[in-house]
Amino acid sequence: MKTLIIGYGSPIRGDDALGPLAADRLENRSLPTGVEVISRHILTAELVADIADKDRVIFLDAAADSAPGTVRCRRLEPDARAVSTMAHFLDPRELLAWCETLYGRVPETCLVTAAGDSFDYDNYRLTPIAEAALDRMLDWVDRLMTQEGWTALSADGHP
Amino acid sequence: MSRTITIEPVTRIEGHARITLQLGDGGEVEDARFHLTQFRGFEKFCEGRPYREMPALTARTCGICPVSHLLASNKACDHLLSVTIPPTGEHLRRIMNLAQITQSHALSFFHLSSPDLLLGWDSDPISRNIFGVMRQDPALARDGIRLRQIGQSIIETLGGKKIHPTWVVPGGVNEPLTLEKRDAMLKLLPEGLEIAKRTYDFFKTLVPKFKDEATHFGRLPTMFLSLVTPQGNLEHYDGLLRIKDAKGRIVEDMVPPEDYERVIGEAVEDFSYMKFPYYKPQGYPKGIYRVGPLARLNNAQACGTPYADVALAEFHMLQESGPIASSFHYHYARLVEIIYALEMMERLLKDPTILDSRVRARARSNRAEGIGVSEAPRGTLIHHYRIDDDGLITWVNLIIATGHNNLAMNQSIRQVADAYVDGNNLQEGMLNRVEAVIRCFDPCLSCASHAFGQMPLRIELKDASGRVVDSLERG
Repeated sequence: MKTLIIGYGSPIRGDDALGPLAADRLENRSLPTGVEVISRHILTAELVADIADKDRVIFLDAAADSAPGTVRCRRLEPDARAVSTMAHFLDPRELLAWCETLYGRVPETCLVTAAGDSFDYDNYRLTPIAEAALDRMLDWVDRLMTQEGWTALSADGHP
Repeated sequence: MSRTITIEPVTRIEGHARITLQLGDGGEVEDARFHLTQFRGFEKFCEGRPYREMPALTARTCGICPVSHLLASNKACDHLLSVTIPPTGEHLRRIMNLAQITQSHALSFFHLSSPDLLLGWDSDPISRNIFGVMRQDPALARDGIRLRQIGQSIIETLGGKKIHPTWVVPGGVNEPLTLEKRDAMLKLLPEGLEIAKRTYDFFKTLVPKFKDEATHFGRLPTMFLSLVTPQGNLEHYDGLLRIKDAKGRIVEDMVPPEDYERVIGEAVEDFSYMKFPYYKPQGYPKGIYRVGPLARLNNAQACGTPYADVALAEFHMLQESGPIASSFHYHYARLVEIIYALEMMERLLKDPTILDSRVRARARSNRAEGIGVSEAPRGTLIHHYRIDDDGLITWVNLIIATGHNNLAMNQSIRQVADAYVDGNNLQEGMLNRVEAVIRCFDPCLSCASHAFGQMPLRIELKDASGRVVDSLERG
């Protein structure tokens, strides 16, 4: 089982660093065989080649669409309509659509998000509420290291 | 009655911009302008910071080419230290720059421009995007992704996996290359070169179909500015400045980068936040020049690597004589440079001295002014700093590659608009061609936001009183 964990976000925009910081912490842990962790500022096109040969992919990101501290985990499916309006970063669903179109397969994928409280310029420093949420993001990742965790996963963002 | 067409935002470029076309009474184009509408202010807010922070600060200028700023900034800091960095440190930096050029050119060609080149300027805008390319030629799209991956992978291998690596430092690099890392990078290059050659051969078959675009897409009698080696060959990291005129005569040669202010002036206009650099001895705006892949190949006598030299010879045959004038051939030049970058990286990595442990010169600041110049994917990048006795920045000037091309981009829009835009009968394909000439330059307007794909877009024709008399909308 090959799993890729991708934490992404800006390290200088306060709680937007939740994704890469979560990835950093995972990298310092003992992870099961076959699990690879990477950090990215943004999701770029070449990541399609990285996810194409994986069985599972877990995206870690900050969110701004719910109450600060809210942690969600939901399945993602390819969606070519989720085209980013920006040239050099992609929506994870668009990335999956690229994967499906170019490589004929899509890994089982989920997105773990934690809603941030402040996205002001700040270097790798989280607000207390985001710091607490980061631990819950990692709890989700731990669950997703098991088949039961994936089976229990709903599509709507709730455990 | 005069009217104005506004194209906003310009799509599939790096940053936010607007194009306006001023039409005369008969619907003919009277004026054309490219407006950079975002303001950043990096030069100002760097003041007061320690000079050693500049590489990290200025790398944040751009999410597309942080490596380019990292290198130019560190070169300016080398100058402040008054050191000559160890040859291995220089070669390692050079490899990182070539990897950056590879991945950036790949994005421009495969991702941003191929929808026009493969699917056609007048094809359905709904599918004229990267998904359209994937459906039409999935192998080409996979090649583009792989080439990007190879370039990014080499950057990460050298700089470490973290975001915004601090591997390049004033005086060199902070860690020598290991045998394991060298071998990992070398392993990637043969596949990259095969992709680059395959794509180049494919594109050559397309070029004859674009005679019309080659004629009207910014075919301008401008000068060309770039770095060259002391032998006059292709150079991306170091070297000396050369300027050729439109007839191929060298008007400035072997200009030390530290003397850039003698040859480059900067003008401003009230319609754009982008400066308008020009060749100082000829004044503004007569001193128009272009930079980037087209300029570099026009200025270089040779590339110095086998396949790239063959491709360079073929590039020069695109026109009967003189420097290649059409901005449409930036696409061609990018593919030649990808081949060169992959060949040169292999050569540098196979040199046994690349594993030398002496990679950094250490010193305190030994002068009050530092200038660093390198070739970014889009052209010559200049960082110029002044510091006080405490090493704090007192003044910064950055001349970004895209800025050099500002005059040429404006004139190119005018040329395309003259050829294709009928103000009395707007068609989406006309709009796309006006945008596409800008894509030839692959402008990078900022890192924060990159317009791309099917963004909502509205073009309006307004009469002199501002009344909308016609419009075209998509998205």
